[in-house]
Amino acid sequence: MKEIMAVVRMKKTGATKKALVAAGVAGFTAVKVLGRGNLVTDPKAIEECKEKLMSMGMDEFSEAGDTEKMVTSFLDGSRFFPRRLFTILVHDDDVPRIIEAITKANRTEYGIGDGTIFVMPVSDAVRVRTGEAGEAAIW
Amino acid sequence: MADVCDMLLIRAIVRPEKKDDVLAGLSSAGFNAATMVDVVGRGKQKGIKIGGMVYDEIPKTLILMVITEDAKDKVIGLILSIAKTGKEGTFGDGKIFVSPVDEVYTISKGTAGL
Repeated sequence: MKEIMAVVRMKKTGATKKALVAAGVAGFTAVKVLGRGNLVTDPKAIEECKEKLMSMGMDEFSEAGDTEKMVTSFLDGSRFFPRRLFTILVHDDDVPRIIEAITKANRTEYGIGDGTIFVMPVSDAVRVRTGEAGEAAIW
Repeated sequence: MADVCDMLLIRAIVRPEKKDDVLAGLSSAGFNAATMVDVVGRGKQKGIKIGGMVYDEIPKTLILMVITEDAKDKVIGLILSIAKTGKEGTFGDGKIFVSPVDEVYTISKGTAGL
């Protein structure tokens, strides 16, 4: 018995749910969380990203310098972004299949911020309706 | 899949007003990645009694972090020292739970590992 914890983009909630149903897992618990990832230390990558964001330009709508301030705070890594945390209880054999499904549904071309999947051991589970415990309580 | 558990999930329940300090402290020590969620809960003091009212759903912030085993002492020490209020600590400062993590996958890279 394993617990899969997956932090994914808010926008990808629907895609993740669909992928889980396709993988044969219908049950999950989801909660809105705030998260941030590892710091990007490569200054070149940050500079590139900054240029891209700056060129999107909000200057017509906001005070001068506001965009730069916002973009900088966006990239310095200290900011938290809204994410969806899925908790899924699965049999040991299904772990690789489900991880593949979640990864496939959530990967984007941005190359960063797509989330993380954690797999943890669970010692027991009980279905409240019937009282059955262990592996039988999962599906 | 490694049999040896070398990654740990840290679940820290802290005061909401302390979360920014805790996260800033962790970030400057090199542990930037974290997930947080607002929760309510009570401890073994059974909540707070003010007058005749008992408040047993006290708002706290739950911080989730996955770290490698060798960073455990550092991270826990940091959270303990920052999240404590007053010199001796106070009831309601929170708790830290540590549990093993078998596998970690980063979706954007598509590979295993933190």
